[in-house]
Amino acid sequence: MPMRQNPSEQVRPIALPRRRSPGDGGGMPMIDPRAIAYPEKTRKDGDVGDGGTWHDREFPGLDDTFDCAITAHMNVGAIDRTERAAPLPMSNRALRDWAWLPTYALGFYALHQLAAIWGDSGFYSLWYPAAGLRFAVLWRRGARATGWIVLTELAVQLVTGVITAAGADWAQQAWSIMRPGIGYGLAVGAVQHLAARARDARFATPPMPLGLACAVAPFAAMALSLPTVFLRPDFTRVGSPAEIVGSLAALTVGDLLGVLMVAPPLLWLADAIERGQRPTLTMPRVTAVIEGSTVLTIALGLVWALYDIGLGRPTTPVLLAVAWIGLRFGRAAAWSAILVTALVVLPHTAGLATLDSMLALHMGLSAVAVVGYLAGSFADADIRARADLARRDRLLFQAERLKTLRAMSVAVIHEISQPLSTLAIEARHLAGISASPLADPGEVHHGAQLIERKAIALATLVRRLRRFGGRAVDNPSPLPVAALLDTVAALVQPEARAAGVVLAIDPGDLDLVVFAQEVELAQAIINLVRNAIQATPDRQVGILAERLNGAVRIRVTNARPNGATPTDGMGVGLLVARTIIEAHGGHLRRVDQPEAVAQILTLPLAEEVS
Amino acid sequence: MSALGTVYVVDDDGDLGASVARLLRRHGHAAEPFLDPAPLLAIYEDAPADCIVTDVMMGDLDGFGFADQLRAVDPATAIVFMTAWPTTANAVDSIRRYGGLDYLEKPIDEDRLVAAVAEGVAWSRRRRANLARTSALSSRERDVFDLLVRGHPNKVIAAELSLSPKTIEDHRAAIMAKTGASGLAQLIALAE
Repeated sequence: MPMRQNPSEQVRPIALPRRRSPGDGGGMPMIDPRAIAYPEKTRKDGDVGDGGTWHDREFPGLDDTFDCAITAHMNVGAIDRTERAAPLPMSNRALRDWAWLPTYALGFYALHQLAAIWGDSGFYSLWYPAAGLRFAVLWRRGARATGWIVLTELAVQLVTGVITAAGADWAQQAWSIMRPGIGYGLAVGAVQHLAARARDARFATPPMPLGLACAVAPFAAMALSLPTVFLRPDFTRVGSPAEIVGSLAALTVGDLLGVLMVAPPLLWLADAIERGQRPTLTMPRVTAVIEGSTVLTIALGLVWALYDIGLGRPTTPVLLAVAWIGLRFGRAAAWSAILVTALVVLPHTAGLATLDSMLALHMGLSAVAVVGYLAGSFADADIRARADLARRDRLLFQAERLKTLRAMSVAVIHEISQPLSTLAIEARHLAGISASPLADPGEVHHGAQLIERKAIALATLVRRLRRFGGRAVDNPSPLPVAALLDTVAALVQPEARAAGVVLAIDPGDLDLVVFAQEVELAQAIINLVRNAIQATPDRQVGILAERLNGAVRIRVTNARPNGATPTDGMGVGLLVARTIIEAHGGHLRRVDQPEAVAQILTLPLAEEVS
Repeated sequence: MSALGTVYVVDDDGDLGASVARLLRRHGHAAEPFLDPAPLLAIYEDAPADCIVTDVMMGDLDGFGFADQLRAVDPATAIVFMTAWPTTANAVDSIRRYGGLDYLEKPIDEDRLVAAVAEGVAWSRRRRANLARTSALSSRERDVFDLLVRGHPNKVIAAELSLSPKTIEDHRAAIMAKTGASGLAQLIALAE
């Protein structure tokens, strides 16, 4: 709360109706500290001291610390950010650290000036983009940068002459300038701190913390001014509750709009630059664009129609539309819708006659922005949480494959040592006879061919095993069922042989194609086949595929073991198989016949998927 | 040049079986590969071998089951086992219970395989000759022979078989004549 006790300085209370004259903006504000900064004199360049030097000395490791912490929470413009850019060379880092304070000072000054268009005498502006810049820098640099932000803003206002160090009330002025930065720093720090420790994944999954911080920071800044308002009302020198509330609301609304409109694109840009890539916009789906713009157009049209017939300017339709867009299409779409709404509303309100209608519209707009952005963040966080879950499943599947490989190792070693014996015998023989001039070329040729064939077979087996045990899983692609069963047979054959079990494989039509991740689907079927191998009493396991109404049905059958109950054999392998098959849009069921047991997995055919 | 010995190689990996057979042929044996013990057993009585080289882990009938059936038909053939998964228990069984001559790990040590087969062929030849020399014995003479080679004196044998020592003397002379042995030491060697 900026307070001035000097009665000679005239303070203009919030004006209802609006009385605005450019000249008296310098009057002390009641609540909105930004009003102090209403420029009376303008200096062209904010030559604020070399913050970089202090920064280097005081916080040499600032970037490393925060970039790591922040990357975990930030997700602007892209859902999946698993890879980090290579660290910048030290000289670049130093330059960046040195440069950001003056850059911030310039940006803050420019946006501060811009905001004046929506200003009024009693408060600075109903749309304050400088808050967005402040928030973006704090979010990236972390709450520990608060001190530098506050000092920079103070310096800007000093240099541009908005406040003077010599004034009698310089302490009050300085506090009113520092307050918003401190409030934002507290909010950002609190949200990042809580998000790092939260057990509730709904609020801790990026970009939810960012969305929450965007909504909370302006309120935190406003809350910091409350003690002065209520404890020292004499400082404000405006008594009416309407004036106080109006000024507080204007402050918060202006900041909310500024943060939500400016911070997300800034953070997205900074993120892209940090990763060393050109910022790329992923093209939204056409259907999404059509749906979103239709919904928004209808809502805006409705508001205009209501206004046109004299029912005021209710913002509820737009609120609903933006919430819909956010939930359906995520943050980027929600932000675009908010931008469109703001572009429609802000020029309109800049020339609005009465302050109450302007305040009402901006409150509505800020509600639209908060709801839309949070809805979008929620949708993005949901997608990300699902992706995280899928990634965890993937690790689990890989661990299970490694376990399978370990269990099959005896049989696999047998499978590998067979061709190795052949290779050794033939190679030694070739080496022996090739030294003799009497060597039979046909024999040499035959031996060399055999060696090549064995080496290829070994290489194929090793490649399959490595692929099966590996972490990398390809994207789903069209996969012939015959090829899938071939892979399954190659991997499970050693164990079947060791157990003396014969695999009867019938891949059905050769044109059966499913849309699948080969390694994981093979894993699912291998688990079923291994279970069958262990259970079968008659050393026979059948694997057969057949077309079935736009789907493929793969049956893994074995004779019923004596004395076994139909419910046994529910191992982890079966559980993993079921999860994988269901992730492929299929399902698995067990059919018990008097003589035999069948695991039947049904998968949609590739053409049905597409 | 006539072959050193007849050798059958049994392995469900056809390439390996054929390779081993070719290797043994190069070392002078008449070697034939088989994928499966069953067809080999079917022809075996008509074409017995001096040595059988067989895998332990095979499909329907494993190497040990095969050895059992083979021993029932021919006690004089040498058996060499090969395995990709050697275990101590199997190694002991293959020698003690199934009368194997050697137990080879895969990947195969070629020199050891060749040496084992050569030893097996020689052993089988000797065994066959010994069996031929004792095959003319009557059943009573064989009873006496079995007790003699265990080192029992005539008196004990006579008591054991409820015969007179004189009769044992006669049988002993007949055994010496039929086998061409010149003393007890040679008789014992025949019983190996």
